[in-house]
Amino acid sequence: MIQTASPYTLHTLANGLQIVIERMPDVRSAAAGFLVRTGARDETPELAGVSHFLEHMMFKGTGKRTWREITIDFDRMGSSYNAYTSEDRTIYYGWVRKADIARQMELLADMVCSTLPEEEFKTEKNVILEEIAMSKDNIEHVTFDFLQEKVFAGHPLAWPILGYEKTVGSLTRDRMRAYFQRCYAPDNMLLVVAGDVEPAEVIEVAEKLCGSWKPAGPQPKRVPPRIRGGVDVLPIDRFKQQVVALTFPSVGASDPRAETASAAATILGGENSRFFWNIVQKGLAPRAGAHHLEYTDCGVMLLFGACEPERVEPLVEAIRAEARRICRERVGQHEVDRVKNKRRTSLAIEGEAPYYRLTQLMDDMEYYGEPRTVEQMLAEVDAVSAETIAEYFAACPIDVEGHLTSVGPRGWPKE
Amino acid sequence: MPEISHGFLPCGIEYGVATLPRRHVVSFQIRVLAGAASEPIERLGLARLVEETLDKGTQRRSGQELSDAFDAIGAGRQSGTGRETMTFTCTTLPEHFELAVQLHAEMLRTPTFPDDAVRINVDLAGQELSALEDEPQALADKLMSPLVYGPVLGRHPLGERETLERLTRADLESFWRTYFHCGRMVVSVVGPVEAERAVGVFARHFGGFGGTTRNGRETRAVKFTSTRTHHHKDLEQEHITIGWPGVEATHKDFPVQQATLGILSGGMSGRLFTEVREKRGLVYWVSAWQETPRGAGMMFLGASTTPERCDQTFTALLREVDRLSEDLVQDELDRAVTGIVASQETRGDTTRSRCAELASDLFFFGRPVPSEEKVAKLQAVTIDDIRRYLAENPRDRLCVLTLGPRPLVDADAKVGSSGGGR
Repeated sequence: MIQTASPYTLHTLANGLQIVIERMPDVRSAAAGFLVRTGARDETPELAGVSHFLEHMMFKGTGKRTWREITIDFDRMGSSYNAYTSEDRTIYYGWVRKADIARQMELLADMVCSTLPEEEFKTEKNVILEEIAMSKDNIEHVTFDFLQEKVFAGHPLAWPILGYEKTVGSLTRDRMRAYFQRCYAPDNMLLVVAGDVEPAEVIEVAEKLCGSWKPAGPQPKRVPPRIRGGVDVLPIDRFKQQVVALTFPSVGASDPRAETASAAATILGGENSRFFWNIVQKGLAPRAGAHHLEYTDCGVMLLFGACEPERVEPLVEAIRAEARRICRERVGQHEVDRVKNKRRTSLAIEGEAPYYRLTQLMDDMEYYGEPRTVEQMLAEVDAVSAETIAEYFAACPIDVEGHLTSVGPRGWPKE
Repeated sequence: MPEISHGFLPCGIEYGVATLPRRHVVSFQIRVLAGAASEPIERLGLARLVEETLDKGTQRRSGQELSDAFDAIGAGRQSGTGRETMTFTCTTLPEHFELAVQLHAEMLRTPTFPDDAVRINVDLAGQELSALEDEPQALADKLMSPLVYGPVLGRHPLGERETLERLTRADLESFWRTYFHCGRMVVSVVGPVEAERAVGVFARHFGGFGGTTRNGRETRAVKFTSTRTHHHKDLEQEHITIGWPGVEATHKDFPVQQATLGILSGGMSGRLFTEVREKRGLVYWVSAWQETPRGAGMMFLGASTTPERCDQTFTALLREVDRLSEDLVQDELDRAVTGIVASQETRGDTTRSRCAELASDLFFFGRPVPSEEKVAKLQAVTIDDIRRYLAENPRDRLCVLTLGPRPLVDADAKVGSSGGGR
């Protein structure tokens, strides 16, 4: 039996900062993190990349600390720390020994009040341009950015998280500051702390650190995208492989069918899946998979594969054949059970460590507006069945054309 | 601290068991002491192919049936092939521990290596070699390994196209017969399972599997080449890798080397991140790391940058290699040591990490090493130790590899352009 449920505490400061705490008495460590509800989808086209650039700038200096002092203070605690930006959020976290959790919270709270130092802004711009260059040498990254650009065309989800050389290159500190002041406000943020901590103490520390932050008021409302079909090809000679992806409109992470959609993706393209045995182990391609890509208000079912360019036709044909089969024939109970059993184990694994619980709690708050215990998550897994999968595919079919993305040395299928 | 049992089963398996009663999963690793370095020279890629094909059929089940059996208990498993060993790791709920071990025993003891699975996995390995061309850092590692380790330890597990094409089912079976037996197996178990029970489970399912003689614990010779090599590739960035010999994991100075590595690249306040990225903005990725095959140690620096800045980046990296023993202050050393110690505690909250650590201890030291012992050794490192270590392990013979659109043109003259070091 899994017995990892730990009580959680919810609290909101007067300025709107939400706080979620999970007490995990069996561990020796604790993790703290701020989630800022801003990401690439909150940018205008000319500001593409500003959320990610801001994430870098949060390490560059505050009224209390220089950039050097920020990194030194993290390292003095031996923190496992970092930050990342996605389409809809920016996250800063540190995972430390439990005795250091208050210091960790203080440092994180200080760094998100960056002064955006002018000199560092110029230097960091070069770092980000290098990051963009590095991403262009990675065919999967190139494919994913191209796919988002086409499938979500006309919507902010189409911008790459890193931005473009042009938008990052021309971004001014003033425009960044305006965006920063609007988005980095307590009523647009969430503080999560998980580990061997005392909730009352965490709230007291948070009040002291963040209680004086000024709220910014309502943020611009996010609008779900229209998901496009069609075929888009990006020929790039220097890659050796052809990467193809088929995408189909699906449900968002807040939809009750999201767990079913993820289970369906695992049956199709996870480990020991239909793709593995009928595509990879038939020698068609070394990589083929399925993933349910989800944001709060929208999602797509993504089927993908990578192979030597001359093998791309049979690969796509095989992916489409499996897509048709899963829509037209009910999946076997043993396939559903297999996915559920693996999910149970992975939830038990994730429930062990404060950092993993921190990321789960952030997802819960964004998708459901409240934390879920491991038992609640297991109950949702248990509710998945062959019937719910059939109902899902009836509502979100993948035996249709969808959108095809093709990246690699061949211009297929438009050549 | 957990109780850790260590010993040898009558069948020859070496085991270590750490009982952690309050955990919710059990992790175990079976390490077979044979890897790419064990392959015949004309059969490169064989060890990985054996690992990939072991679960494609047993005397009792087809590959798919075996995978289904693992999934029926929700076992999370991975396998991998390295230079010296092959590993089979598994994490499962405690109630399924014995069945998970039993299924591993079936897979490792009675594989059938079906002809079609062998043929397909040979073909897939060839495709993986092509795919490696699209992963610059992985390709740089593949090109660097034979230069720093020589022709045996420097092999890549994927092998080479010519040798892959020669491989047959008989080769796989022969490799398996030679290397898969209890005398070459080391097992680590961590989780809420008593040592006596864990040992009993392995004895029950692996007892009588091949010879009991302990094999595979020898070290292999390293042949380091001091050189500067460029591999042309049409990329946006130039990838720079610098390597030089360090000390092995069992060397008394290994904690000193760990601290040195922490000073270079332990966190964002490390020297590389600070000097190359934060002060100069030359790179997004810069790092230092070590590799420790049994009996050897190798230190590496790596960075990627746009071609027009690669000479400047290379010079900045070399400067950090050169000035390692200069300007060292206690706070810098303290941060490096704290980073390693704290990471052991935080990551130690996951059962899988604890299992990986125990497995590593058994491989390198032949015994579980208590955390207190490791921490005490790290915390005893002084600035003088680091200076002495750097003097005894000089960076005057570097192996430099660049991968990208152009070679270094005006690099520091102290690094020879061919073979001679600086």
